[in-house]
Amino acid sequence: MDINFSKEDIAFRDEVKNWLDNDYPKHVKEKTDKGITITKEDLIDFHKALSKKGWMGYNWPVEYGGTGWSASKLYIFNKELGLAGCPPILPFGVGMVGPVIYTFGNDEQKERFLPDILEFNTWWCQGYSEPGSGSDLASLKTKAVLRNDLDEDYYVVNGSKTWTTLAQNADWIFCLVRTDNSGIKQEGISFLLIDMKSPGIEVKPIITIDGDHEVNSVFFTDVKVPAKNLIGEEGKGWTYAKFLLAHERFGIAGVGASMRQLNRLKEIISKLENPDLQKKVNELEVALSAIEITELRLLSALQNGGHPGAESSILKIKGTEMQQALSELFVEVSGEYALMYPGPHGYENNDKPAGPDYAAEGLSGFLNLRKTSIYGGSNEIQKNILSKFVLGV
Amino acid sequence: MNLDYNDEQTMLRDQIQKFCESEYDFYKREKIVKSTDDFDPNVWNLFAEQGWLSMPFSEQSGGLGFGPIELSILFEEFGKALVIEPYLSTVVLSGTLLDKSTYSEKNQLIEKICSGEIHISLAYAEAENGYDYLSPNTNLDSKMILNGTKTLVLNGANSEKIIVTCIKDDILNLVILDAKASGVSMNSFSTVDGQSCSEISFENVKIDESNIISSGDDALNLLKETINLASLCICAEAVGCMESCYHKTLEYTKGREQFGQPISSFQVLQHRMVDMFIESELAKSLLIKAMLEVNNRSDEMYKHVSALKSYVGKSGKMSAKEAVQLHGGMGVSEELMIGHYLKKMISIDALFGNADYHLKTFSR
Repeated sequence: MDINFSKEDIAFRDEVKNWLDNDYPKHVKEKTDKGITITKEDLIDFHKALSKKGWMGYNWPVEYGGTGWSASKLYIFNKELGLAGCPPILPFGVGMVGPVIYTFGNDEQKERFLPDILEFNTWWCQGYSEPGSGSDLASLKTKAVLRNDLDEDYYVVNGSKTWTTLAQNADWIFCLVRTDNSGIKQEGISFLLIDMKSPGIEVKPIITIDGDHEVNSVFFTDVKVPAKNLIGEEGKGWTYAKFLLAHERFGIAGVGASMRQLNRLKEIISKLENPDLQKKVNELEVALSAIEITELRLLSALQNGGHPGAESSILKIKGTEMQQALSELFVEVSGEYALMYPGPHGYENNDKPAGPDYAAEGLSGFLNLRKTSIYGGSNEIQKNILSKFVLGV
Repeated sequence: MNLDYNDEQTMLRDQIQKFCESEYDFYKREKIVKSTDDFDPNVWNLFAEQGWLSMPFSEQSGGLGFGPIELSILFEEFGKALVIEPYLSTVVLSGTLLDKSTYSEKNQLIEKICSGEIHISLAYAEAENGYDYLSPNTNLDSKMILNGTKTLVLNGANSEKIIVTCIKDDILNLVILDAKASGVSMNSFSTVDGQSCSEISFENVKIDESNIISSGDDALNLLKETINLASLCICAEAVGCMESCYHKTLEYTKGREQFGQPISSFQVLQHRMVDMFIESELAKSLLIKAMLEVNNRSDEMYKHVSALKSYVGKSGKMSAKEAVQLHGGMGVSEELMIGHYLKKMISIDALFGNADYHLKTFSR
């Protein structure tokens, strides 16, 4: 047994750190260090910088322009970016639809969409959840009907999607749509790529309890979508959807980002001489270490030819509980100052009303991160998955 | 990076598992618990035959030279079978301490430990000192006369020799003496998990200079390192218990029918068992980290054992309490194994510093 990374991996970690020190855009770093919410342009700059380094396709095979990294490099990359306080890499293009396109799409689709994902020229969003279909995703109702006019095949899409993250910025949306109602619900689903500029699409903001505009409702009224935008076969969308969900599990625990938060909390609490808070932060440190090593065990199994299975559900559950617990502790250490809620963008200048700097972001983080145990298959759904695949009940 | 056990280690685990299944089932264990000695000499001889009593000793001392990884495997399996034989006391606490010391007669003693001929106990705890083992009140005066009282001496009643921590000229000393020496009196009882344990008083016991095993900084380091290794072992035991709590509860709920269906079909129970599974996996992760740190004798080894001990102290009890609850009335009956895991967890948490104590130690 050996818990240390190889020389090659350590050299790679140095390369990532070096990039973070020198090429991670300074204006983005300045904001994330201060806990100020970054803009759309900041996010684009961050992704473009990754792209310039050739790291945008961090999880893609080399033949499609990806890095072809081993699991350990992926882990190191995720952890170091998290530790440095980088915004999460937007998963919708490179993490989600990209792998679906290069696995199930045709050559024309690969040529048309993959380069723009790697260069972050297109901003993708995800059309999965619907007002009536959350955890029971396969019950979705957004309908796509195939038509033919003047020798052109196209779908007419009607329905709505919800909780669509950053749809207000998106150029494209990948959607699960119902193309057939006759069989069992999973069989009539197809995977469709839709241009957000298409007539008949309306995006309406949903403001979350932290006051932020991150998610949206997306309405489709007689939206015309060329049939060539269908991925794979009609009716096989559920298979692709499951593939996608399984693909973006790695790094889901957010260990690096949580470590950054933990280190900040430790520093704050060490100055407060409050044994109750000290105990709480110690407990979180031990628990985070347990999560980290669990992820390394998964990594080791992957490198020895194993297949990650239900273990990733453990990481989803415990990783998100950790993120929430850390943000809650930030609120607690802020004491009464936590009441002075600045809104989702924090205090953007120095004339904040009162209290320590960290009081400004604690509560917005706490409120915002409630989502983590709900999205990506709620933690209760993860426990159902574990019940089925581990308990066998 | 490779966090998988190698073939030899997996074989060792299989061997211990098979032994416990065939030679140490729950009924056998109950008989031993109810016997006056709280251990079975025949089982101990079998341990010797398997080579387990020689595992952690250096090859120069006639041992197998195994390290904390193999010891953890052994204790994980002991935890699953709830083995109560005094391995921790004789082999880990006393044996490895002697092995690392410069005591002149250590080779003869270790040889006897390996062959199963002798039991030795380490008397490290005192009633008034809590979990601070490094500054005992037991005193060795300038005339080499020992006075003091030790508590919770594991397997004291079965031991021929006792290693005692004491203070001489303001520094820590470790002395070894005969359990039957004049001035030694012993009050023995059973612990909640069925081990034998003693309170031992030393009243004007004469110690020979040659029987000082270690003193000063050497003694401090030796004691700290030994207790740390023993803590790792019982944490591994706890991890084994947690895995069994989860497996046995799952098995029970699959077989138990109420309202016309197995109770494992109820989501509320499924999620609780998932929690038990998750906790057992997380504890296993911390065990792997801690045993590798101890194996590498890294500067961080104490810290990581403390992290592990604080974690299993809490989550181990959680798992065992859940196991009892999900077994319903059967969970609280003595004839079922499941309630005995809870008692083991209580005992593990209380030994060598409980969860709160180690959480504080961890952050220092």
